Amino acid sequence: MSSRGPLSAAPTPGPMADILRGRARSRQGLFVGWIRALTPANSWPALAGLLVFAAMLALQQLIEPGTQRLLTSVFLFVALAQAWNIIGGYTGYASFGQVAFFGLGAYTVAVLMNNYHVSFWAALPLAVLVGVVFAVAIGLPLLRLRGHYFAIATLGAAEGAREVINNLTSVTGGGGGITIPTFGSDAPTPYFGKPGFYLAFLVLAAVSVVVAAVLARSRFGYAMVAVHEDEDAAGAVGINTTVVKVVAFGVSAAIVACAGAFYAFQQIEFYPTDVFDASFTVLMVIMVMIGGSGSVVGPLAGAVGLQLLSQFLRVNLGNFNQLIFGAIIVLVVVFFPQGVVTYLRDAWRTRQFSILDNVRRYRL
Amino acid sequence: MSQFLQAAAYGVVQGGLLGLVAVGFSLVWGVMNVVNFSHGALAVTGAYVAWVLNVRFGLDPFLAIPVVAIALFAFGYVVQRGLINLVINAPIFLTLLLTFGLNLVILNGLQLLFKADDRTIDTSYASQSFAIGAVNVPYGRLAACFLALGITVALALLMSRTRLGHAIGATGMDRGAARLMGIRARHIYAVTFGIAAALAGVAGTMIATVGSFNPTTTPGQLTLDAFVISVLGGLGNMYGALVGGLVLGIAESLGGLLLTGTWVNAIAMAVLIVTLIIRPSGLIGKALYSGRVEV
Repeated sequence: MSSRGPLSAAPTPGPMADILRGRARSRQGLFVGWIRALTPANSWPALAGLLVFAAMLALQQLIEPGTQRLLTSVFLFVALAQAWNIIGGYTGYASFGQVAFFGLGAYTVAVLMNNYHVSFWAALPLAVLVGVVFAVAIGLPLLRLRGHYFAIATLGAAEGAREVINNLTSVTGGGGGITIPTFGSDAPTPYFGKPGFYLAFLVLAAVSVVVAAVLARSRFGYAMVAVHEDEDAAGAVGINTTVVKVVAFGVSAAIVACAGAFYAFQQIEFYPTDVFDASFTVLMVIMVMIGGSGSVVGPLAGAVGLQLLSQFLRVNLGNFNQLIFGAIIVLVVVFFPQGVVTYLRDAWRTRQFSILDNVRRYRL
Repeated sequence: MSQFLQAAAYGVVQGGLLGLVAVGFSLVWGVMNVVNFSHGALAVTGAYVAWVLNVRFGLDPFLAIPVVAIALFAFGYVVQRGLINLVINAPIFLTLLLTFGLNLVILNGLQLLFKADDRTIDTSYASQSFAIGAVNVPYGRLAACFLALGITVALALLMSRTRLGHAIGATGMDRGAARLMGIRARHIYAVTFGIAAALAGVAGTMIATVGSFNPTTTPGQLTLDAFVISVLGGLGNMYGALVGGLVLGIAESLGGLLLTGTWVNAIAMAVLIVTLIIRPSGLIGKALYSGRVEV
């Protein structure tokens, strides 16, 4: 992973970076400093983000339920891809067990709502807490491993978590699945319906993008990139690499667990194999890698593009859709190994648009 | 007690087979630093080749092995030469992503060709068994286990005694130096992947003979097993893969006897994680090659 140049990873310092570094001392100074530091050049991503958010809100009134459902799933994957990018992209620890947090979040909400009649809004923070606690618990020993070893250990942790949920039949219903009561007086929280979940996942996606953007431009974000580029050197310049890795893992887990909680409520009824499905993890990785890891726009573009593409193929190609989807992944990996967004950005900067040169970069 | 012995015997023969599944995976990982997500798919492809030969021409699966091995070797060689070599210097997870895409293509191709039904290669002897005391040993599984042992030993000899094996080993240790010595790394990588694919195909044929397979659930399970076994055994270590396979096979069959439900899977994962934390180089010795990526 360290072969990626520092140029492509270094986030541009913004006003938030100063604040998080503690340069602006007084509270008033902090706020004024932030406003003063805003220029058209550095505030356009935030403005563009706001515009997109507003456009998505407006769009909801125009589209039919089927499209609404599709966009809801796109938002879900935007959140998941951003979460994976924090630990896998910025910090360089490719977790193949993120789905564990998704499943734990989903089951926390379902068990609390079903067995204990807790409202969804009370269960949600607990689900996030469970995800974070599990992340810290497995992160402390596992984040000492590097490369493939970390990937496999997290994969094992996710499989193990699924098996535990699967076998705690008295609490979770085991392999028979679990159902969240949503109708009548049984329901602790009334069901959101399609429009409600559209909003919920839109907000979740927006929050995850903002968290990733703020994190990337903070002192902590630089520490994550430093750990990615060279962990020993990062330790040598005084970064507590253990804290950085565990916190990055925890933040990522929090977002994923939150997504899992909403997903559980949306699905109403599900099985351990649904919410611990390793293909969620694989999709997160693919979306980040194909979009371009270590940036905020990359995973966003990857998640939106891939989810829309896979849906398009499913509708139009029938049985062949997975075959073509796989072939497209292969081609994108071969032609844009650094991710599509990263390729476009670097090509724009250097005016080198040749795709063949791009292929030659990593060829043997 | 007899129940215990029976489970242990089953674990041993199953473990040998699992070792054969993992040895190619471990070789590719150790030499090229590529985690081959499509390993299980290659095994199932081999199983289909043998199945077609059996159904169409009535060829015995054990006799079909050379055909399967040659077909899969050719396929693996082309895939590595034409595809994986293109991104071999990229960050490690790109090759994983590439093999994941390949996995999707192969599996869905197979599914379109052969449907998603469970298949098995029927032979007159595979399900017959003989008894040692109170323990029943099925002929098919025993033969598969011996074949796995033989192939593993042959591969280990290939790696340690032949020029080709030394070239593979050298390329795995230091590609830059190996190329300076006149080793054609592109070709060696392709041969390595071809060997791994052929071994996977043979393992798939054996699985089809002693049990059943399908293109939807079997490949993922095999890839995951190969993962676990390679880590237990140490990467690029032929005998390590066999030991890892035996450990997993015995642990799973004894666990299945002692524990209810699927707790055994949770235990297997716990063992995997603890092994990784305590001995990342595997249970026996050091990994032969530390996967390095150089020019």
